[in-house]
Formats: sequence, C-alpha cells, structure tokens
Amino acid sequence: MLGYYFHLGLRSLRRNPALTALMVLTLAVGVAASVSTLTILHMMSGDPIPHKSERLLVPIFDVQPAEGYVPGTPSDEQQLTYIDAMNLLKSGQGTRRTALYGIAPSVEPLRKDIGAFTAPGVAPTRDFFSMFEVPFLHGQPWSEADDARGANVAILGRKVAEKLFGAGSPVGQRINVMGQPFTVVGVAGDWEPNPRYYKLVGSDYFGVREEIFIPLATAVRLEASRNGGMSCSQRAEPGFQGILRSECTWLQFWFETASKDERRALKDWLDSYAAEQRKLGRMKRGSPAELYDVMEWIEHENVVGKDNKLSAWLAFGFLALCLVNTVGLLLAKFSVRASEVGIRRALGASRREIFRQFLTESAVIGLAGGLLGLLLAFGALALIGMQNGEAAAVARMDLTMLAFTFLLSVLAAVLAGLFPTWRASQVTPAIQLKSQ
Amino acid sequence: MEIRPIVSTILRNKTGAILVALQVALSLAILANTLHIVSERRAAAARPSGIADEMAVVKIDVSHLSSDGPEQQLATMKREAELLRAVPGVAAVAQVNQMPMTQSGWNNSVAIDRKQTEESSPSSSYFSPDSLVKAWGLKIVEGRDFLPGEAQDIDINKKDEPRVVILSQALARKLWPDQSPIGKTMYFGTGEGAIEVRVVGMVERLQSHGAEVSARGELSAIAPVRLYGSNQSYTFTIRAEPGQRDRVLRDAEAVLRKASATPVILESRTVERIRKSRYRADMALSWMLVTVSVLLLLITASGIVGMASLWVTQRRKQIGVRRALGARKIDILRYFLLENFLITSSGVAGGVLLGVGLNQLLVSKLEMARLPLDYLVAGSVLLWALGVLAVYGPAWRAASISPALATRST
Repeated sequence: MLGYYFHLGLRSLRRNPALTALMVLTLAVGVAASVSTLTILHMMSGDPIPHKSERLLVPIFDVQPAEGYVPGTPSDEQQLTYIDAMNLLKSGQGTRRTALYGIAPSVEPLRKDIGAFTAPGVAPTRDFFSMFEVPFLHGQPWSEADDARGANVAILGRKVAEKLFGAGSPVGQRINVMGQPFTVVGVAGDWEPNPRYYKLVGSDYFGVREEIFIPLATAVRLEASRNGGMSCSQRAEPGFQGILRSECTWLQFWFETASKDERRALKDWLDSYAAEQRKLGRMKRGSPAELYDVMEWIEHENVVGKDNKLSAWLAFGFLALCLVNTVGLLLAKFSVRASEVGIRRALGASRREIFRQFLTESAVIGLAGGLLGLLLAFGALALIGMQNGEAAAVARMDLTMLAFTFLLSVLAAVLAGLFPTWRASQVTPAIQLKSQ
Repeated sequence: MEIRPIVSTILRNKTGAILVALQVALSLAILANTLHIVSERRAAAARPSGIADEMAVVKIDVSHLSSDGPEQQLATMKREAELLRAVPGVAAVAQVNQMPMTQSGWNNSVAIDRKQTEESSPSSSYFSPDSLVKAWGLKIVEGRDFLPGEAQDIDINKKDEPRVVILSQALARKLWPDQSPIGKTMYFGTGEGAIEVRVVGMVERLQSHGAEVSARGELSAIAPVRLYGSNQSYTFTIRAEPGQRDRVLRDAEAVLRKASATPVILESRTVERIRKSRYRADMALSWMLVTVSVLLLLITASGIVGMASLWVTQRRKQIGVRRALGARKIDILRYFLLENFLITSSGVAGGVLLGVGLNQLLVSKLEMARLPLDYLVAGSVLLWALGVLAVYGPAWRAASISPALATRST
C-alpha cells in the first residue's frame, strides 16, 4: 500500500504545480542553507587523524613571570620555549616526540630557468613523519644522525618537487636553501590534514600543504627565521641566540603515547619536570603543566570560528521558517481535498490509512525538496569555496553530509506534514458526503 | 470598520493565523539580527587605517639570498631606499617593519611607569627610519614628526634602543586620558628591562597590524628605527603619484632586481589588496547574511500570499453575501488588509521578543554585540509593509468577487 501511496504522492505533485513548486522550493532553500553551513562546520570540526588522535598530545607550560600574577588564571601560552622543547626531546617520554616551528626559507634551484622563491614549510625532528603519518612519494625521512648534527637535508612537497625536478625521483639532488647547499632526501605525497592540527599557532588552519621540511637542528643552526607566532613575556637578549636562551615560546611540541592510558603518567612526569625547573628558577607561577590531545587542542585553539557557528545557527533558524511556511502550504493543499478524504473514509479506509497516505505525500515533497536542496547546497558550497584556498578546503561535501541532507529534508517534510495530515485524517465522512 | 468581527473570525480558525504570525515572528527575529551583524561588519571593514589615499600605497618585501654581514646589509637597505626614491612617479618611500591590516607584525606591551608589573596597554609597534607621516599621509594632531637626526639604525644582534616615539591618538588617550602626551616618558615592556622612550608626537589615527575590531586595533606606536642584521625579509612602503601606482610598482621591482648581484625574492602587495584580504571573511559573511535575509522575506511573503489566497477561496460565498447586502469593494479590501495587519502585528510583537532572545543567545554564546532597538523597529516596519504588499493581491481578488455569487447554491 505504501508503494501505491508513494505513486499517488508523485501524481499529486502534478495536480497543483504552482503550490507544489513553491513548497519544494521553500524546503530546498531551507535545506540548502542549513546543509551548506553545517557541512563547513562538519569539515572544520572533524578529527584529522581519528585512529590516534587520543594518543597525540601537546604539552604546555606557563613560563610567564610571577609578578602581578593572580593564581588560578589559565596561561595563554600556546607553544614551548626552546629550552623546554630540547629538554622534552631528550626526555624519552612517550613512544615518539617531535618539536617543530614554521619556516619560509628561500629556495634556489640549480636550474637557472626557475627563479628563487620562498617555500613555506616546517622544521621538525625525524619522528614528525611517522607521528603524523606523512606519506612519501620518494625517499624517506632523514636519519636520526641528520637530526643530531643538523645536516643540510630537505624533504620537499610534491608540487615543489615536480616544479624543480619534474616527475622523476629527485632523491639525492641538490638545491640551495637559505643560500646553503642542501640534499633532497625525500618527497612527501599530497598531505593536507584539515585542520592543520600539528601546527595551529600563527597560520591558516585549512588548505595548507607544506612545501619543504628541514631538520629542526638545521633550521636553528642556520637561524632560519620563524614563519608563525612567538610570545615573549620577558625581554629576550638580542638576536637569534638570545631567543634560544629566552623565555619566549615559539615551538610546537607533540608526544605520541602507545596507549591513551599513558596520558596520566605523562602528565605526572610533566608536572615533576615543571617542579624541577622551578627549583632552577624558572616557571615561577607554579601553575600545573597542561596536556591536550588532538581534538582538545583544536578546541583550545578555537579552530572553528564563531562566524561559522553563527552562520549555522541562523541557517537553522531559516530552516525553521521554511518549515512553518511548508506547514501552511500543506494545510492549504490538503484542505481542498477534504471531499476526497470523505469518499475514501466512507468506502472503508481507516483514519490510520488516510494518515499514511498524506504523510507519504509529504515525504515525497520532502524528497523532491531534498534533491533540489542538495543541488543548491553544492552550488552554495562551490560559491563559498571560490573565496580562497582555506574556504575551498572546508567547503566540500562528504558522504556523511550527503546522507544527512536526505535525512534532514525528508524529516523536515514529514515534520511539516504531521499537523496538516492529522487535520486531513480528522475529516468526518458524513459531512463531506452530505455537502457534495 | 469594526475590528471585533475580524478578531472573532481569526479566533474561530486559529491555525492559519498562528502559522502566518509565527512566520512573521521568525523572520523578524532573524532579520533584525542579521541586519545588525551585516551593518557591523561593513562598518568595521570601512574603518580608515590612517593611511591617506590607500589606493596610492604599496609595499614590497625584499629578501636577498646572499648571506651578507649586518653592515653590508645596512648599506644595501640604504642604497635600495635611494634607488626607489629615484623611480619616476614615486612620491615617498619608507622602510618599515610592518603594515596596517596585514595581520602579521609586532605586539609590545607599554607602561607609563617603570615600577609597574602590569602593562598599561598593548601596542602595535611600527619601526621606520623614514617619515611614515609623509609616506602614509598620517595626520599629526599634536607635537611633531621625527627630526632627521632622530632616526637610528639598530642591529638586532646588539643591545640598542629607540629613544623617541610617536603614538596614535587612541594609545595616547589610553595612557594619559586628560593630558597632552607630548614630552611624556613611556616604556616598552615592564620592569627593569623596559625601554624608556619620550613621546614627541601624536597622529590622529594609525591602525595596528591586526586591525582588530576591538579598541586594540587603534593602539599603535612608531619609533624612528631601521632594524637590520637578521636574515628575515624587510619591507619598503611606497606612495606613488596619483594614478601611477601599478606602473611605479613594476618599475620599483625592476630597479630592485637589477641592483642586486645575487638573486632576490620580492613580494609586493597594494594596500588595496591588503585591506581586501583582511576583511574578506567579514564581507563573505555579510553577503551570505544578505542572501539569507532576501530569501527570508521572499518566503515569508509567499507564506502570506498563500494563506490569504486560501482564505479568500474558502470565504467566496460569505464575501458574495456581504457584497449582496451592500458592502462595497473597498470594504472587502479593507477587511482583508486589516485582518492581515492584525495577524502581522501579533507576529511582529512575538518577533521582537524572539529577536531579543536570539540576540541574548548570540551575545552569551558567540560574544556578538548587543542588538540596538533601531534594528527591531526597522525590521518591524519592513515586515508590516511586506504584509500589506503580500496580501494586497489576494484581497483585491476577494473584492472583485461578484455579489451574484451569493444567489448560487454552492
């Protein structure tokens, strides 16, 4: 019977084309608005590395001076000092660990037909590549020995590698980075986690691909300038060497643990480390060390902007309006069919049958609205994605959202159809038949 | 015409009226809030940066691939500034560490007393050995521009400090609310290591590198300093003669490239583009909200038209009877207009409450600004007008119903 009702619903779409078109359009617009804003929220707040996001941890210490400090105030530090980063690298805590900072060194190919350019990237330690699962097209990460001595080795992003060396493997080739000869040891594949959780401070969150990686020790040895934020609560000694010795925070640090239960042990170790540093005359505020996993860190850094939440809220308000409108239109559509209901009831159909028939009809309208809404949403997302690379990275529909769109539109239409359907099923057959 | 029969009609068949009123209320609540946000964002994006005639100003980031020593680098910087000044069509050139609105630059805390442990204010720090007053057309409102002898060249690897500053009016007022800042002593940083400087001038306005919407966006200080000795890129800002910006920029790049023996990387941006990218997200949001508002009004209007048409159809016979009993066309028209007005008004009343509630939610959850009453008033007027316009068509059709209809049986 449901199939028959579905068929009836389809036919009824044609019966009053203007009214039907208006309903479908209203639903479609409401669905498109809410789905496109929700897609962006969904893409922004997704887990970039689901299988290990609970095992990747960011430590933060409050290194600011104690003068004028109100105990209990949370610290606004987001990165580590060079001193702490080096100590933690040597700590042996967790199964892997890495420290990194953003760089934008000049790259000068040996080929003369391509001019020099700056390549934004990061300077991490070797474990970075396995911790964040960076795919390799050619070659492999540099060795621990390279890390230790600050060797002039570089890993290129795919695009830069192709620009400089064409499609073949450039492993072993030479380039000049910051005026120094470097050896290419690897090429990273298309690696673009969204958000760029491994380095959130002081850069775009979405649609970023690293163009170059060089060892942290090398970047420090060559005094590669920072491409990212630094926060200094006390005045540093002049120059790069001064920064290394200072309490300025500018390095991002990550631990990887074998299981998420090890987090507590790591936290205890960090607290004891902070206490030890206090004895040496640092971290005088005495606040406990903080530890965040990937999702907590994304939340902490406010990656999902307020504007995106605002858009989503207003879009759902808009959808609510579209629903109320559809209720009104359905009421109008069903009310002219009271006599039809009267005849069906007189011929023996139960209220429940009438209810089913009209609800199916509402669902058909919902499906039509959902289909059109999906098209509109794709259009809206394409428009939003045209703004810039960052928007393009998040204005993408995935399967979850696709399924959700359909569910939302049919649910919306059924919800809108409930009241008019109930009204229709309340028709008393005798009165309808008499008034014919 | 009495309102009572209309009210009792509405009360007898509440559903439709409630639906229309609910639509009006929802539209008004959303509309007032979106219009407020749109006008706020647009106002923020239109704020002056302090740079006069932004269309004529550009910046060029220069980074050399040679690893020169600090003294050589200083000589190169000075030579490049002279070369740029000689480019035809250049009105002024200044080397500078940062630009307004680029969202990357230097924040410092400033204090007015060395004994302070807390900062008096944050400040965006501009360093330029040349006159930014000339290059950017900043307006001195008190004191003076830097004298040529005050400019310092500071090697960042050595301890050397600026001695004089010019403040933006907002920063000066924040530090000394009712006194003239000229001649006062101020500190970059707090405590023992703070750098003491003397204020020599105040400019009307200079936005920070972040151009924040909060008061912070106007707090800036300029020191007459050229920084050198790092391997970071450095920036020149150029003011071109009117209408010659793009050509001047091309020529300036060519001159810099030609003058360098080793490869040089240049990155240029016009202030026009800097402004555009600073406010891109705000403009995108405001366009989205405008689109939603227009759709909102269309949908509400269609809802009113639909419901009114339904009522007209349902009441054809009654209208015929009224007409036969002597009601004029204008009476029927007025009946529907008044009925709609009553429903819209109750919707508007609900919408005002809903709008204030929605704003409360936005204020508390998303830290948006409080909604001024004007937007609710404007929104209400708009929806009233929309209601009348939307119902006019169906009401006119109702008025055209012939009295003869009353004599027919169905």
